[in-house]
Amino acid sequence: MARTPLLRGGVAVAIAAALVLAAPLALDQYAISILIRSFLFGAIAVTVDILWGYCGVLSFGQATYFGIGAYAFGLAVTQIGLSPGVALGALAAGCAVSALVAWLIAWLGFGPRVTPLYISVITLVEAVIFVQLIYSGGDFTGSSSGLSGFDTFDVSMEGWFRIAGLFLLAAVVLGAILVRSDAGRLLVAIRENEQRCRYCGIATARVKGVLLAGAAVIAALAGYAYAGYTDVIAPDLGNFQFGTELVIWVALGGRGTLYGPAAAAVLIDYASAYLGGTLPFIWQLIVGLVFIVVIVLMPQGIGPAVASLARRRPRAVAPPALATVADAEVGGDAAKPAIAVAGLSRHYGSLRVLDGIDFTARAGELVSLVGPNGAGKTTLIRCLSDGAERSGGSVAIEGTPIGRAAPEACVRLGLGRKFQAPNVFETLTVADALRIARARQERLSPWRRAQSIALPAAARLVLQATGLEDALATEVRHLSHGAKQALELAMVLAMQPRVLLLDEPTAGLTKGERTLIGGILTDLVRRHGLCILLVEHDLEFVREISSRIIVLHQGRILLDGSVAEVTGSELVRSIYTGTPEPAAA
Amino acid sequence: MSAALDIDGVTAGYGESMVLRDVRLSVAPGEVVAVLGKNGMGKTTLLKTVMGFLPARAGRVRIAGADVTGTPPHRRAARAVAYGPQDRAIFQELTVGENLRLALPRGVRDMQAGIERLAAFFPFLASRQRQRAGTLSGGEQKMLIMARALLTRPRLLLIDEITEGLQPSVITRLGEVVRAERAASGIAVLLVEQNVGFALSVADRYAVLARGEIADEGPADADAAARVAAHLSV
Repeated sequence: MARTPLLRGGVAVAIAAALVLAAPLALDQYAISILIRSFLFGAIAVTVDILWGYCGVLSFGQATYFGIGAYAFGLAVTQIGLSPGVALGALAAGCAVSALVAWLIAWLGFGPRVTPLYISVITLVEAVIFVQLIYSGGDFTGSSSGLSGFDTFDVSMEGWFRIAGLFLLAAVVLGAILVRSDAGRLLVAIRENEQRCRYCGIATARVKGVLLAGAAVIAALAGYAYAGYTDVIAPDLGNFQFGTELVIWVALGGRGTLYGPAAAAVLIDYASAYLGGTLPFIWQLIVGLVFIVVIVLMPQGIGPAVASLARRRPRAVAPPALATVADAEVGGDAAKPAIAVAGLSRHYGSLRVLDGIDFTARAGELVSLVGPNGAGKTTLIRCLSDGAERSGGSVAIEGTPIGRAAPEACVRLGLGRKFQAPNVFETLTVADALRIARARQERLSPWRRAQSIALPAAARLVLQATGLEDALATEVRHLSHGAKQALELAMVLAMQPRVLLLDEPTAGLTKGERTLIGGILTDLVRRHGLCILLVEHDLEFVREISSRIIVLHQGRILLDGSVAEVTGSELVRSIYTGTPEPAAA
Repeated sequence: MSAALDIDGVTAGYGESMVLRDVRLSVAPGEVVAVLGKNGMGKTTLLKTVMGFLPARAGRVRIAGADVTGTPPHRRAARAVAYGPQDRAIFQELTVGENLRLALPRGVRDMQAGIERLAAFFPFLASRQRQRAGTLSGGEQKMLIMARALLTRPRLLLIDEITEGLQPSVITRLGEVVRAERAASGIAVLLVEQNVGFALSVADRYAVLARGEIADEGPADADAAARVAAHLSV
C-alpha cells in the first residue's frame, strides 16, 4: 500500500505531460504564444513559493534571475553570434551568475542578527540595481529599450510550448518531491523556528543560501528560454514590479501549495494577455481588487480554499518507526573540563546581569544552577551556548574556546541546549521534530522521507515516560505545554550531546514524570559520562539528582559546593527558599 | 447570589478532537478552585474556553450569572475577569510600567495605588517600571503577568501554571497575594497548576481533569493531597 501515493503521483504526472505534448494540436497560435510565457512565469512562481511558502524567505528578486538568464542569452548571441557552443556557454554563464548573485544576496541577507525582513528589502534593492546596470550598459545592453532581433534557436512555436510546459511540470514535480522530503521538512522547520534549528547544529544561513541559489538557477533557466523564444530582452524582465507580481500570484494561488502559485501565475498571465489589450487599465484594477478580496476572505489563498471545499479527510500518514542507536562512547577527554568559564560577564547597557563568573564542570558531573528569579541563570546558559552573547571573559567546551562562535558551531563542539520555555516547531509533527534534531547525525534526504528514526536510548525513554511515543504523528501545536517541554528535552537528547545545558527541563511536568526524567539524567551522567548543567527551582528535585550545586545571586556566584553544603546554607535559605527578600531587591 | 463562574456542561476542542467533554464546574465569589491533572488533559483548554479564546461546542459559560457563551474575550474581560496565561504573554518591547498600564480598565488613570499594593509582594515592580519587559527573567515575567492580572481588581481571576519557573520564596508570596486579594476584594480564582502543594495550599476546592472530564473533585482538606496524587500517578 505504501506505493499507492507514488503510483497515483506518477499517473498524474504522465497525464499532465501528455496534455502538454498534445495541447498545441488543439490550441490556436495566439493562445500557444501566450501560454509559453505563462508556463515560464509559472515555474518561477513555484520557486517563489518554495522560498516563501515553505521556508519563509520572502524574495522579490526571483524576477532578477529571470532577467539575468534572459540577458545571458541575448547578450551572448548579439555580441558573439549564435552557435551551439555560445548557446551552451550563455546557459552556463546565466546560471552561474545567478547562483553567485544569489549567494551574495544570501550572505548579506541571512546574517546572524538580522530579521527576516532584511532579505525582502535586499532582494528589492537587488532588482533596482539590476535595472540600473542594464540602463547604464549603453549599446552593449540596449539600455532602456533592450535588445531584439538577434539570432535564436530554430524551434517552432509548438516546440517552445512543449519545452515550457514540461519545464513548468518539472518545476512542480521536483518542488513537490523536495517539500515532501525530510529536507523539505527542514525548510518548514527553519520558517517555524530558526533558532531551534541552529541549536540543533544546522547552519540555517547556508541552507537558505543553497535554496536561494537553486531557485535563482531555475529562474535563470526560465529567463534563458524566454529570451530564446521571444527574441526580445528588456530591463523590465528583471525589475521589482515583476518580482512583486510573482509574490502576488503566489499569495493568490496559495502559499505552500506549489500547484496554487503555478496555476495562479499561468491563469493570471494568460488572462492578462487577453484582457490587458481590451481593458488596459480596468484589468489591473480587477486584479488588484481580486487580490484584496482574496487576502481578506481567504488568507491562505485560493488554492487551499478550493481544496478545502472538496476535502476528503486528510490522509493519515503513518509515522516513522523508532529505532534505538547504540550509545556512542562519549565521556570526552577526561583531562579537560567539559565546561570552563573564566571571568565571564554580561551587561545590557549599564545593567550588569552577570559579573566575574568563574567555574568548571567535568564529565560525569550534574551541576545544578539555582538562584532567585532574575539572578542571571538563563543568561549564563545563553552565554555558554552562543559566543556572541557575553560581554567579557571566556568559555571553553571540552577544552575548545567557543570564541564568538554561533550556536550551531557551539553545538558541534558537543553542546545541547534546552530552553526555558518550550522551543519547538509548532506545525511539524513530533516525528518530524525528532528527525530534524537528528539532522547532524543522519543527513536529511532531499527526495524522500525516512521510514525510521534512530534515537539514543535516553531520548526514547523520555518519549516513553511522557507518552509522546504514541503521539509521533501529532502536530506539535496540539501538544500540551508539558508535552512540548518533554519533546524539546527528547530532541536535545537525540543530538547525543556530551555537554547538556538544561533550563528548567521538567517545568510543567507532573511529579511522576519529573522523577522519571531525573533518573534518565543521572543515568546519562553516571553511566555515559555526560556533563549536565541544569537550572531548576524545585530544591527537592535538585537535591536528588545533583552532584554539585552553584548558587547564582544578582549576577555573581554566591556559593559553589556539594549538595549538603548548599542546601544547608543559611544564606541560601534567606535569599531563595524562605524569608522574603528585602524590599529594595 | 450567582456563582462568579459557572461552567455548565462545556465541550470544546481543536479541529475534530474534543479536549473537554461535558465539564461542569462552578466557582463561588471569594472561592479559590484549583484544577489539577496530568499534561494534555485539557486544563489550559478549559481556561481558554472560559475566557472565550476557544468556542464552546456545547454547554454554557456564565460569569457572575451572565451568559457569556459565544462572546469574544474582550467582552468577558470587561466583566472584571483577568486571565494570566501560561506562555509568557507580556508585551516584550514595552516597559514593565507600560505593560501594567495597558491592563487598567478604561477611565482609571492612576495606577500608583495599585502598584504600591502589588509591590508589597513583587518589589521589582516599583523599582523597575522603566525596564523593558522582554529583558526580565522568565520568573519575573511570570510575576508581571500575575501583577497585571491583579491590577485590574478582577472579580474572577484565571491563572495557568503561574508557579512554573518561580523560586520557592516567590511561590510562597504568590499564595500570600492570592489570600490578601481575596480578603480585600472577595476575588474568585480558578487556577490551573502542576505544583500540587501550592495549589492545595491556596485553594478551597480542587477538581481533577482527566481526558477532558472531571474525574474527581472535593474540598482541599488534609486528605486532598493523597487523592490528587492517586489521579496523577495513574
